[in-house]
Amino acid sequence: MASYDTTSSPPAAAEEPLKRSAPPPEYNGGFSPVVDVALRVLLFATTLVAIIVMVTSKQTKLIPLAPGLAIPLPAKFQHAPAFIYLVAALSVTSLYTIVTCVLSALALMTPGGCSTKLQFHFLMFDALLLGIVAAATGAAGGVAYIGLKGNSHTGWNKICNTYDSFCFHTAASVLLSLISSITLLLLVWLSISVLYKKTARR
Amino acid sequence: METEYKNVEVVNRKSSFKCKDLVLRFLALALTLVAAVVLGVDKQTKTVALTLVPSLPPVDLPVTAKTAQMSAFVYLVIANAIACSYAATSLVLILATRGANKLVSLILIILDLVMVALLFSAIGATGAVGIIGYQGNSHVQWDKVCNVFDKFCHQVAIATFMSFAGSITYLLLIVLAVLTLHKKC
Repeated sequence: MASYDTTSSPPAAAEEPLKRSAPPPEYNGGFSPVVDVALRVLLFATTLVAIIVMVTSKQTKLIPLAPGLAIPLPAKFQHAPAFIYLVAALSVTSLYTIVTCVLSALALMTPGGCSTKLQFHFLMFDALLLGIVAAATGAAGGVAYIGLKGNSHTGWNKICNTYDSFCFHTAASVLLSLISSITLLLLVWLSISVLYKKTARR
Repeated sequence: METEYKNVEVVNRKSSFKCKDLVLRFLALALTLVAAVVLGVDKQTKTVALTLVPSLPPVDLPVTAKTAQMSAFVYLVIANAIACSYAATSLVLILATRGANKLVSLILIILDLVMVALLFSAIGATGAVGIIGYQGNSHVQWDKVCNVFDKFCHQVAIATFMSFAGSITYLLLIVLAVLTLHKKC
């Protein structure tokens, strides 16, 4: 095992300064920078649409309190902390995606390709945001599920039979944020496979 | 002579990474196991005074709160069980291949990431439902239940924090693996 390492690592260490001056043989990912930018654009689109759908979900309905007395009661996303969290997390992701999309596109245009350090930082933040968006999707999905089905054990009644359009907006937003978290997962997989191929070429 | 010394250092660093990897995986295994067990056995029965008919005095009835009654909690238990069994499998795989197989390590990074997403979504769901149980939601008349089932709620909170620590461990595993890949670049 030790012998394997001793044979493989010294050339890599010796080549390090040489490679800086002559980059052509370096593997720059083939298709992957284009796929990276495309995925980031998709991520931006899904998060933005999810925010808009969630923010415009307000619905007001006449709720009968007593026979002959009905008052208009609105359902807003601000009423549940989970939905506020979803909007906040998606906003952060959206802003982050704008920045990384521009940086990724710039790296695509420069001939040398994306530097490994930049890719490394992207990877870390993508993984962190994956956690945040997945948690937000889970939170909103959990609350929306109770709203849809209710919970007889705790006496939490379902509200989706009353606020149908609000629930539809919420479900669409949760679905879109699910797609955006899957996109983030794909982005991290892509970066890891690029890094892996770079090391495999040595 | 000098290059040899360098090589030894590189090997040492690599093995220390592997050691950290194993420790983190073991930690993830333990944390997710504890979270799954703590939430899985969570059950509390209390006698609650219920007014069935307004004209009659309230009747004392035993009411039970169980994990299986809330779908989000069931999701957390299942997610933790999956993460726990995956941690055990990956430990066995790493020990069997001694971390030398590159394909296995790539597959492990990819699956680690899936575990992060799974655990975080389960924590989000449990946290959101737990907050409603703790504070209630006056807009939709969902009353809080944690003033009655205090022990049950504490156990849910403990399980959520354990699970959160477990998912952070998985995140650290990814950081470690990517750092190793990055250093080789």
